Amino acid sequence: MADAALLNIVLLLPLAGIALLLAVRAPHEDSMRWLSLAVMLAQFVMAAVLYVHFDAAATGLQFETRLAWIPAWGVHYQIGLDGYNVLLVLLTTFLGPLVVAGSFSAIQKDVKLFHAMVFLIQFAMLGAFLAQDLFLFYLFWEAMMIPMFLIIGIWGGERRIYATFKFVLYTAFGSILMLAAVIYLVYALQATSGATSFAMADLYKSRLPLPVQTLLLAAFALSFAIKVPMFPLHTWLPDAHVEAPTAGSVILAGVLLKMGTYGFMKLGFPLFPDATRLLTPILMMLAVISIIYGACLALVQDDIKKIIAYSSISHLGYVMLGLLSLDLLGIQGAVIQMVSHGLTAAGLFLMVGMIYERCHTRELAAYGGLAKILPVYSVFFMILTLAAVGLPTTSGFTGEFLVLLGAFNAAWPQFQSGTSLPLVLAVAAVGGVVLGALYMLRFAQSFLFGVVKAPHLPMDLNLREKTILAAIVIGIFALGLFPDEPMRKTELAAKAYQQLVVTQRAPGSMP
Amino acid sequence: MNWHAVATAMLPEHLLLAGIVVLLAVEIASVKSRAALALSLLFVAAAAVAAALLAFAGADIDLFPGHFSVRPAASLAKAIVLALAVILLLMSRDDFERGEYYPLLLSSLYGVCLLLSADSFPTLFLGIELMSLPVYVLVLLAFRRPESAEAALKYLVLGGAASATFVMGVSLLYGESGSMAISTFSGALGAPGALATVAVVLIVVSFFIKGAIVPFHTWAPDAYEGASVPVTAYMATIIKAGVLLAVARLFGTVPVLRPMADLLAILPLISIIWGNLAAMRQQSFRRMIAYSSIAHAGYLFYAFLGDGPGRFQAVVFYLLAYGLMNLLALASLPRHEDDAVRDRMDNLTGLYHRDPYAALMIAIAMFSLAGIPPLPGFIAKFLIFANVMAAGYTTYAVLGLVGSYLGIYFYLRVVQLMFMSAPTPVTITHASRRLARSASLICLVAATLVAVFPGWVIGLL
Repeated sequence: MADAALLNIVLLLPLAGIALLLAVRAPHEDSMRWLSLAVMLAQFVMAAVLYVHFDAAATGLQFETRLAWIPAWGVHYQIGLDGYNVLLVLLTTFLGPLVVAGSFSAIQKDVKLFHAMVFLIQFAMLGAFLAQDLFLFYLFWEAMMIPMFLIIGIWGGERRIYATFKFVLYTAFGSILMLAAVIYLVYALQATSGATSFAMADLYKSRLPLPVQTLLLAAFALSFAIKVPMFPLHTWLPDAHVEAPTAGSVILAGVLLKMGTYGFMKLGFPLFPDATRLLTPILMMLAVISIIYGACLALVQDDIKKIIAYSSISHLGYVMLGLLSLDLLGIQGAVIQMVSHGLTAAGLFLMVGMIYERCHTRELAAYGGLAKILPVYSVFFMILTLAAVGLPTTSGFTGEFLVLLGAFNAAWPQFQSGTSLPLVLAVAAVGGVVLGALYMLRFAQSFLFGVVKAPHLPMDLNLREKTILAAIVIGIFALGLFPDEPMRKTELAAKAYQQLVVTQRAPGSMP
Repeated sequence: MNWHAVATAMLPEHLLLAGIVVLLAVEIASVKSRAALALSLLFVAAAAVAAALLAFAGADIDLFPGHFSVRPAASLAKAIVLALAVILLLMSRDDFERGEYYPLLLSSLYGVCLLLSADSFPTLFLGIELMSLPVYVLVLLAFRRPESAEAALKYLVLGGAASATFVMGVSLLYGESGSMAISTFSGALGAPGALATVAVVLIVVSFFIKGAIVPFHTWAPDAYEGASVPVTAYMATIIKAGVLLAVARLFGTVPVLRPMADLLAILPLISIIWGNLAAMRQQSFRRMIAYSSIAHAGYLFYAFLGDGPGRFQAVVFYLLAYGLMNLLALASLPRHEDDAVRDRMDNLTGLYHRDPYAALMIAIAMFSLAGIPPLPGFIAKFLIFANVMAAGYTTYAVLGLVGSYLGIYFYLRVVQLMFMSAPTPVTITHASRRLARSASLICLVAATLVAVFPGWVIGLL
């Protein structure tokens, strides 16, 4: 009971943060920064307590709150932690203080509005993860758009207006079709069961014919695939990342992209299992294309932010591959990979922001031999690079390895029974790992080693920056060396997901 | 006749009438004071409270059987419209210090109340005309620019055409059924006869003209642009509400079948798409609001595709959310001596750096009108589209939603101008006056209540 209240506090704390910010008078910008940091830290501590209290052996929702919200439609304010979201909630609250701390010197314009928007997006992201009611989920899912639109549009780079409209118009298009699908799904369920309900637990019981399932999955998948982003729908991402301020990139890469894969895992696939199994070859192919294509594009970029942006496309392809493999190891690997990518991409974007603040260019060719002039920076950068590549002992290894293992596990029996596509795709995904090493190491090599070259002679990291990066590095190694604990906490959810997707639910078949 | 019932059940109307008389007397006595505003606020607020009390007391009286009845749902709709009018009055001071504006506004409100209680076509027609006629004058009242005269004339001519179409349709219905009760309309909806069909189509078209549905929308951009800001707000919120509530009264709870449903879906759908597309290239804020209102009229007419009982609820909820947001945006519009400059989009450039409060208010209104959750505009839109889909018109619902997607761009462009552009150095901003600010605060509080407790609001309706 106390924990359920604590979960509500974690969710609502950002709103309290906004209220506190309003009370701070305009000239005291530093107090706004420290205030925001304090609120974010408090939120992380509470989320960590909840994580520790989270019972790995219990199935279903924990710390649940369920209140009638719009009784006429059967909409409830229902939030809770389960194995699906527990790690992502922890990741979101972990990155919150780092985003604020990382913007201490970078954001000088409209400081109050900036922190209010960071709080708002934190609130919306946590809400989307915690929501157990489809209406509530949609509300939070869409609400993320408003603060992100402003963060990119106000504090972004030169082409920020173009980038932010592209971001909004892409995501809104996906969402509007998802909204149609949500309404259709609920009324289709009402027609069979007689009760209007948006509760996800009820929707999992829907029994829709295959063509309807396919259409609805397409609508959901469009929305989620844009967010992930998956191969042909990814073009908004590089623009958004390049133009966004560091904080925006960190939020985007760290949490927002996981919203898409989380959506697939929590809603898209389990709601429409028969359609999922029908479309698995296509989706899997797109996932592998994302892995390879993202890596190839990252290989040829000369803007350092773009390299990381394209690497995100590649890394999230693994998550999709793991989810689609329907192998327990693969699913768990996908979950770990989500968190791992959240940590490494956030860290790399923060580091790019740090060097950009010093030298005001993101041109890869402008830099060289930073290891000689910025030793501390270079050490951190190398660790993050290796984590992104998937060096054993880092979190990247755990995630990618498990995903690939799962993909092979699932592909081998199919190969023996005559279907070779999954195996081909799994092998191609391994190729992606090699490409990943290639572009990250090329990046690190020309960035850190060789002839010393930099627009100005930059200062090395200060204490604030070191603390931020140290926190991320600790997270990366913790997840790489001791993946056991988080995997135990998500295992039951992974099994539940597997069970939901494997079970046939279209009418006319055996129940 | 039961005089007690007449006195109590018609209390909102009586209060408005008393307000008109008192305001005229004050005008004749030419008391030089702010009395006009204070008096009209007093009477409209009292009428709103009276209507709300009638609604919650569950007053259900056939006052003049066959002509005028008081029902709880209609009383609540009256209360909502009158409450929106109170907010509108608060933001009117900047433009209308005193004068004819106030009695005209109250007359128009009387018309809205009348049509909400109308049971027969003559009463309904009386209500609609009483609502519309003062507005032709109100548009002209802002005669600071030659466009106002043009706008008023255009509005008058098209309004007249709408009334004529309506009367023609009614006379055909009367010829068919021999009755003047508005229930003959819902009866004719499902009837097969050619005469009945023509009558229904004529009446629906007359409301399409009044509600500015494409292709009958051309008066709206000119009228909205030509009028002063409060009158634009009045047309966008309360006139639109009056028209749609009249339609809701006519349709009752009878399900709409094909092919009538197709007529009711296709033109509104085109309105949604065209309104949203045309709004993208407007340089005048009020013109943009006009095109936006054309699109919103499309969503509102969509509501009649839905099943009967949820219809009135969806329309009233939508009108509440939409009205609040329009009032919020227009009340926060930065002031300027020159009305034409005030209206230009450029006047909003960099507003956040000049007047952060106003910029935030307009931004909230824009996000809500765009239908982005968690703002009330989303819940209203959800209610309508959910009803349409529940009634089985899935294709129309999906097309309507895609049409609403087109609207996102121009609403966000306003936000972009306010927040993401540096302020133009030449513009001088006058902070809006305290009354207009309090109007926007009331809108904000009400909108927050609607957004946080939509279940409660829907339960009331």
